[in-house]
Amino acid sequence: MNAWVVFRKELIDALRDRRTLFMVVLSSVAIGPLVLIALSALVAGIEKRAEERTVVVAGIEHAPTLRNYLERQTYRIETAPVDYEVGLKNQSLGDPVLLIGKGFEAELARGEAPLLEIVSSSGNQRASTSVNRLNRLLRGFATEHATLRLALRGVAPATLEVLDVQERDLANPQSRAAQLTGMLPFFVLMAVLYGALNAALDTTAGERERGSLEPLLMNPASRLSLVIGKWGAVAAVGMLIALLSCFSFLPAQGLLRSETLSAMFQFGFREAALFLALLAPLAAALAAVMMAIAIRCKTFKEAQANNTVVILGVSLLPLVTVFNQSGEAPWHLAVPALGQVALMNRVLKGEAVGVLDMALPLAVCALIAALGIAFVARHLRIAALR
Amino acid sequence: MIDVQQLAKRFTQGRGRKARVVRAVDGVSFVAADGRITGLLGPNGAGKTTTLRMVAALLAPDAGTIRVDHIDVQRDPQVALARMGVLSDARGLYPRLTARENIVYYGRLHGMGDNAASRRANVLAHLLDMTPLLGRRTEGFSQGERMKTALARALVHDPPNIILDEPTNGLDVLATRALRDALRRLRDNEGKCIVFSTHIMQEVERLCDQVIVVAHGRTVAEGSVASLNAQCSERDFEETFVKLAFSAEERVRP
Repeated sequence: MNAWVVFRKELIDALRDRRTLFMVVLSSVAIGPLVLIALSALVAGIEKRAEERTVVVAGIEHAPTLRNYLERQTYRIETAPVDYEVGLKNQSLGDPVLLIGKGFEAELARGEAPLLEIVSSSGNQRASTSVNRLNRLLRGFATEHATLRLALRGVAPATLEVLDVQERDLANPQSRAAQLTGMLPFFVLMAVLYGALNAALDTTAGERERGSLEPLLMNPASRLSLVIGKWGAVAAVGMLIALLSCFSFLPAQGLLRSETLSAMFQFGFREAALFLALLAPLAAALAAVMMAIAIRCKTFKEAQANNTVVILGVSLLPLVTVFNQSGEAPWHLAVPALGQVALMNRVLKGEAVGVLDMALPLAVCALIAALGIAFVARHLRIAALR
Repeated sequence: MIDVQQLAKRFTQGRGRKARVVRAVDGVSFVAADGRITGLLGPNGAGKTTTLRMVAALLAPDAGTIRVDHIDVQRDPQVALARMGVLSDARGLYPRLTARENIVYYGRLHGMGDNAASRRANVLAHLLDMTPLLGRRTEGFSQGERMKTALARALVHDPPNIILDEPTNGLDVLATRALRDALRRLRDNEGKCIVFSTHIMQEVERLCDQVIVVAHGRTVAEGSVASLNAQCSERDFEETFVKLAFSAEERVRP
């Protein structure tokens, strides 16, 4: 009963803090969809480049044979701009440039090896990714000519082919997209954390700083009910932010420019609900932890400084999978934040998430929340007096 | 009625070797009757705030008993608190709530319904002359407005016993007079038992029916202003207070 009164008051209080709430919504709820849209533009660019069969050449007029070969391979030939070196350095040119010397045709006819240069810059990522493609294309031209010369001399081309090596690249735009969408759970997680942070500090350290905690304790309400009400409100704010940020991906999907990414990023109501089911208990646990840290602090500012430990922990824990290359281990699910991110990634990849997989993080969060609440309730009176 | 007997409280300051035990309260006793204003007068650090915190069940005493309307505060703190309205030294309000919401929140915590608490807020606003404040958020309230809101909040459940810790701190003359008026009305019209602590002589002279002089954590004298003056054969209450509260050596010190 009293817990409900406190819950209602704290929730109203938190929701009236419009400026803070606005900043939280702007910085954490909007950022997920924004990143998603930015990613889609990036992936769309990569896809477009992969589909575009263009070669940027300087001096193609010296090499009709090569031009013939390239056109047979359905490549479009573009003349390199005069200041291509500058373009490659400042990244405005996204393709490597092929330089052909004046004597190309004559040297080729004499059987000498004409010099071709591929100009690129390893600082220009877009251009350097296309270097291999261009190299392969030119090797194809060389092989064709060599085969023809051998055939002219009556040698079977097969004598040169001791090995039959074929490459198979498993990486496709889809797997690249999966790498990119892997960042999204992290953004959602941070949204929840920052959403609950302010309310957690305001209901504990803020109450101390205002001098309203001592009068509050002179009401005939048990300390536990006060703390449960406060914690409930903080957790509710965190969950509200979680709800907003999860469901903000639904409209954001319509804005995806990359077809592969939008095909890959299947985020419907089911996924949003699963995200929420993972994040809600985490919001409850984080609320309790942040309150427990803040109740020992005399001022809002001090509590903020102390809670950076929590923020750092929540941001670093999901990185365990990055540092630990052996992949997902069963114990990951028991670690708060890490477990949630791992499961959210599974949801994004469309993999199955079992009831047991959900139960373990839930149990861990419940335990943390209970410990946090008990701690705050124990320290409430001491905090009020100092 | 508030009955305090032989109250004692020790604090340990510092840790380890530097630890020092401070006897904040060491034998405070008084009885505050209904329909009277009882002043707890003492210099800074005499143990007034600690005593009132123990009465309000915020601190557990090391020794002694506190009864509020015959209810043992230590044994039944919730029941005792329901019969007390406490305006403590800390009187923080919630800046994003209106004055009415601040008052109603405490009413709800005392088990009142929304409507009952809101009606009571109206009555108290009339008593404390703060009706125009009710609908405003407390952010930016002046000291006097804050004190009125905090007092209304403490009285929302219509407690028979009212405890105020240095209520005039930070108030200007008009706000102080308004508070005195309100306290007299609460005593005369509603027969409340009012206890307030102060270190200001004039407060006591103007308002108190009974004075408890506290010094060094002990009750050193009690009675009306007139009887205490007579006891020390002084006409000026300030002289009486200095005689009662400070030892001869202390009085010599500039």
